[in-house]
Amino acid sequence: MDIYGPFQPALNQLLTNLQSQIKALSQAEVTAGRPKLYEHLIGRVKAQQSMIEKCRRKGYPVTTEGALRDCKDAVGLRIVCNFIDDIYRCLKLIKANPAWQIVKEKDYITNAKPNGYRSYHVILAVTTPFKDVDGNQPGKYYAEIQLRTIAMDSWASLEHEMKYKHNVQDAERIGRELKKCAEQLAACDIQMQTIRQLINQN
Amino acid sequence: MRVLIAEDEQQLAHVLVTALKSVHYEVTAVANGEEAVKAAQENAYDVIILDIMMPVKDGLTALKEIRAGGDRTYIMMLTAMAEIDDRVTGLDAGADDYLTKPFSLKELLARLRSLERRNEDYDDDVLNFADLTLDNNEQRLEAHNSISLSKKETRLLQYLILNAGKALSIADLINHTWDDDDEVADATDLWINISYLRQKLQAVNSQVQITGEQGGPFTLVKP
Repeated sequence: MDIYGPFQPALNQLLTNLQSQIKALSQAEVTAGRPKLYEHLIGRVKAQQSMIEKCRRKGYPVTTEGALRDCKDAVGLRIVCNFIDDIYRCLKLIKANPAWQIVKEKDYITNAKPNGYRSYHVILAVTTPFKDVDGNQPGKYYAEIQLRTIAMDSWASLEHEMKYKHNVQDAERIGRELKKCAEQLAACDIQMQTIRQLINQN
Repeated sequence: MRVLIAEDEQQLAHVLVTALKSVHYEVTAVANGEEAVKAAQENAYDVIILDIMMPVKDGLTALKEIRAGGDRTYIMMLTAMAEIDDRVTGLDAGADDYLTKPFSLKELLARLRSLERRNEDYDDDVLNFADLTLDNNEQRLEAHNSISLSKKETRLLQYLILNAGKALSIADLINHTWDDDDEVADATDLWINISYLRQKLQAVNSQVQITGEQGGPFTLVKP
């Protein structure tokens, strides 16, 4: 089935637009003499098969409405920053954009998940020139932005890889060790940020 | 605790072994300094008790040899000589404590208990302060979140917690954090570590704060 139906092109276009808008935000910072906002920016429109599975898992209707209204991460972006401070700088600028309405925020940096996962998630409702699933034009689409540091990102990659290896022996111990890694990486993030602040003070 | 006793007077050795075993210490007894050095090389002990006057090799020589091998075990000397110089020689050669013969068994046991307290209770593995938990072994700080600490941050925070509410000078904090002879640190090193700790306290969402300007003094305060 084609879960996105006629909206696939709009989703692709929304992703492209958001990426260039965020790129522009960073460029404006650099032009103003401040450090760049992020180290890299990636994005994707969730693959059809993953979206179908997600709707099923969450108990949403496996329909275009389910994919674009109940699920709010058909369009997803990840902003990977050098320093923790940069995450909050990004957030401030994202919140300042009147075309983007924040519908949900999850701060897994202040409230790290029990396994050690750290990241800041925001869901935006974006007004677009395209027709949406409710028939409105300009239409409303959702997008999820994940913000994290390089250290948080590398931890999440390893943890993700682990999660899908079901034959791992002594998974509980590995989980404890991974959590220790998350704490050490968080320590590095804090130390590097402190060093940057000490340099800037002098 | 595992205790090694080197005592050539058989009757006294027997009394000591019996007494220490009765309070559940693991005891090994040898009869001279040479055997003591050999046992110390082969096994791990928590305490070594050395008589000074022994055949084959005396206690002082054994003490020096044990220390020369890099062994840092707590060593107590038993001396029949009441001369101050002998005690000084023993302590300077690396002994941690001494008892003058004749000594009371009660006192020996009390000293061993005191040592156990020092090793276990006073060197707290986990310290709690307000919303904070500091795990000294894991070098880990926990409040709402958890984060790793370096060895220096751990020592510094431990000292701040044990002296919470007191204004601690830069010199005091440096002395307690970089306390090995071969360690050097200046006020800037301290300031960097205080800055790390402040940011980490914030990162774990703790209400505890370290107050103080760059020139010190610094105080750990509860909300």
